[in-house]
Amino acid sequence: MTDISGGPAALPVSKSRRGSLLTQDALTRRRNAAEARFKAYGAVAITLSMLALVWLLFSIISVGSPAFRQTFLTMPIELPEDKLDKSGTRDPAVMAKVTTVGYAAVIQAALTKAIKEKGISTDGMTPKDIAGIVSLEAPAQLRNHVLANPDLVGQTIDFEILANGRVDGFFKGRVTMETARLDSNIKPEQLVLAERLVDAGIMAQRFNWGFITFPDASDQRPEAAGLGVAIIGSFYMMIVVLVLSLPIGVAASVYLEEFAPKNRLTDLIEVNIANLAAVPSIVFGILGLAVFINFAGLPQSAPIVGGLVLTLMTLPRIIIPARAALKSVPPSIRDAALGVGASRLQSVFHHVLPLAAPGILTGMIIGLAQALGETAPLLLIGMVAFVRDYPGMPIDGFFDPASALPVQVFSWTVRGDPGFVERASGAIIVLLVFLLVMNAVAIILRRRFERRW
Amino acid sequence: MNDMRIAERVVDSMESKITARGVQVFYGQNHALKDVDVDILDKTVTAFIGPSGCGKSTFLRCLNRMNDTIDGCVVKGSIKIDSEDIYDPKVDPVQLRAKVGMVFQKPNPFPKSIYDNVAYGPKIHGLTRNKAELDEVVETSLRRAALWNEAKDRLKSPGTGLSGGQQQRLCIARAIATSPEVLLMDEPCSALDPIATAQIEELIDELRSQFSVVIVTHSMQQAARVSQRTAFFHLGYLVEFGETGQIFTNPKDPRTESYITGRIG
Repeated sequence: MTDISGGPAALPVSKSRRGSLLTQDALTRRRNAAEARFKAYGAVAITLSMLALVWLLFSIISVGSPAFRQTFLTMPIELPEDKLDKSGTRDPAVMAKVTTVGYAAVIQAALTKAIKEKGISTDGMTPKDIAGIVSLEAPAQLRNHVLANPDLVGQTIDFEILANGRVDGFFKGRVTMETARLDSNIKPEQLVLAERLVDAGIMAQRFNWGFITFPDASDQRPEAAGLGVAIIGSFYMMIVVLVLSLPIGVAASVYLEEFAPKNRLTDLIEVNIANLAAVPSIVFGILGLAVFINFAGLPQSAPIVGGLVLTLMTLPRIIIPARAALKSVPPSIRDAALGVGASRLQSVFHHVLPLAAPGILTGMIIGLAQALGETAPLLLIGMVAFVRDYPGMPIDGFFDPASALPVQVFSWTVRGDPGFVERASGAIIVLLVFLLVMNAVAIILRRRFERRW
Repeated sequence: MNDMRIAERVVDSMESKITARGVQVFYGQNHALKDVDVDILDKTVTAFIGPSGCGKSTFLRCLNRMNDTIDGCVVKGSIKIDSEDIYDPKVDPVQLRAKVGMVFQKPNPFPKSIYDNVAYGPKIHGLTRNKAELDEVVETSLRRAALWNEAKDRLKSPGTGLSGGQQQRLCIARAIATSPEVLLMDEPCSALDPIATAQIEELIDELRSQFSVVIVTHSMQQAARVSQRTAFFHLGYLVEFGETGQIFTNPKDPRTESYITGRIG
């Protein structure tokens, strides 16, 4: 309603400077060229990152996938009573006196017999060489099986035992005749014998469930190493992180976003939360060591401590997206709720929180995924220890020593035997599968609960 | 200003519902509302007009204490509803807002079903004892908001799926479902097309029989069409307040005259 006074003033652009619309002037050309250049940079950047990702996935999968296959020997094994249960009581406590050395002899005898029956020549090989194609873990496998089923003693059973890691590596292409000549752990003759055993049907490769279920194994027996303890440990830690960080994180972000007065103190808290999210994770490990282990006296290597440390690390990373999700709920919804006489709490719990839930859940799952892949803080609280015993059932199991997936990757990569390199990459594949599943869940939840207004 | 039809207004009641005396509002350092005295009559439509930023919405939000949610907002003076000071420390704004409903500028239905939108207020205030009563409240509210015929077959479908005008009528239904005594409307038609606007205006005129309605509007034609009394705000001052006919045909203050003839604002 303001009145427009005065005639149109002449602008300092003469008509002659504007050429035909059909030809681009210099300025337009420069602008278009700049836009084209920017698009090209973007395309190059995306191509480079895609190539890096493909290369990474290819190398991990090509190195790690053999870990999911393992070479086994299957043969009839005679379990002589005079060697394994002299007392004849079939009492596992008494039978446990026979160590793995005794079982190694049983396996060696069974292998020699099987080779003889198949008519495979073993020229120039000592009995020790022949026994060397079997894993050092095999006697323990057999011993555990017999102690679990004492009635088997005196019978002949068909049993599957692990082949030595080098023999396994030979079938996976990691070990060749040339490297075997230089290797004190294996002889070319043993590899030749292994090939003959494959032909005879005694030795074969199959999918290796043990990689998922077995506990870690010592330096000399990569073929027996598995992720069982690490998966349970990581799972327990994720439970602790979820149970602690979901309520604390949501309560903190709702309070800060909806109820807290805006003053110096809350500003300070906000800045600190943002800073905490950027603190290197190893710092949380030192904190956890000092507070939870040295001060509170919780056990080392325990999932409870790992979970607590990861909770500390995850909380700011959950609070920040949760607050962003709450902030993105339009204020008109809060007004509407308050306008019909809802209290502040009702407006938050009936309207704001359900609308922010997909964002909060997504942040939560991404925070959990980060925690799942975190290594450094766990090293400091002793989760890198060599653990062969499965932790117990929750909640007591939270206090038993355990390992964690990323830490298992770390500890396998520093071991000498090349068999562990393959295991480490395999473990990375397992970790990536877990992360992919979690991210997929995040996406599905977001799609499902997303509402428009 | 050719289509300004000022009907003969009959003010049904001379009973004062809301009495505001010496109301001052500060947003931090900003003195947004200066010394406002208003009497809002029962069962009457009162329109607040004035240029943007003149304080009319601020004053409206004082009437149900929605300003409480704004940080740094301070209200001084006294506002009484039925001679009870609503800024008394003993007053819970939640109870106040059940008595003084509000409809906002932009239609803001909850992203829930039409039924849940209307039923929400009665539910949280415990106004109904069972599902049948609640159904009845929802139906009556939707009927009064002239939305029943359009919505009765889709009560379970989301309120956000309605058209803009329907959404605003849904918001009105939601506001009247708690049986308020005063209905505040903050530019309820500014986001609507002329047909939806006409429907809402008709509705306001009908609602007058039950509530006292306070409407903030930028459209002087609308103020002239729906209200019995009009208040003109300018730069935080209440310049003139009186019968709508008198304000539009015979303003006493030169600023009012300038505004309604389009010279300021």
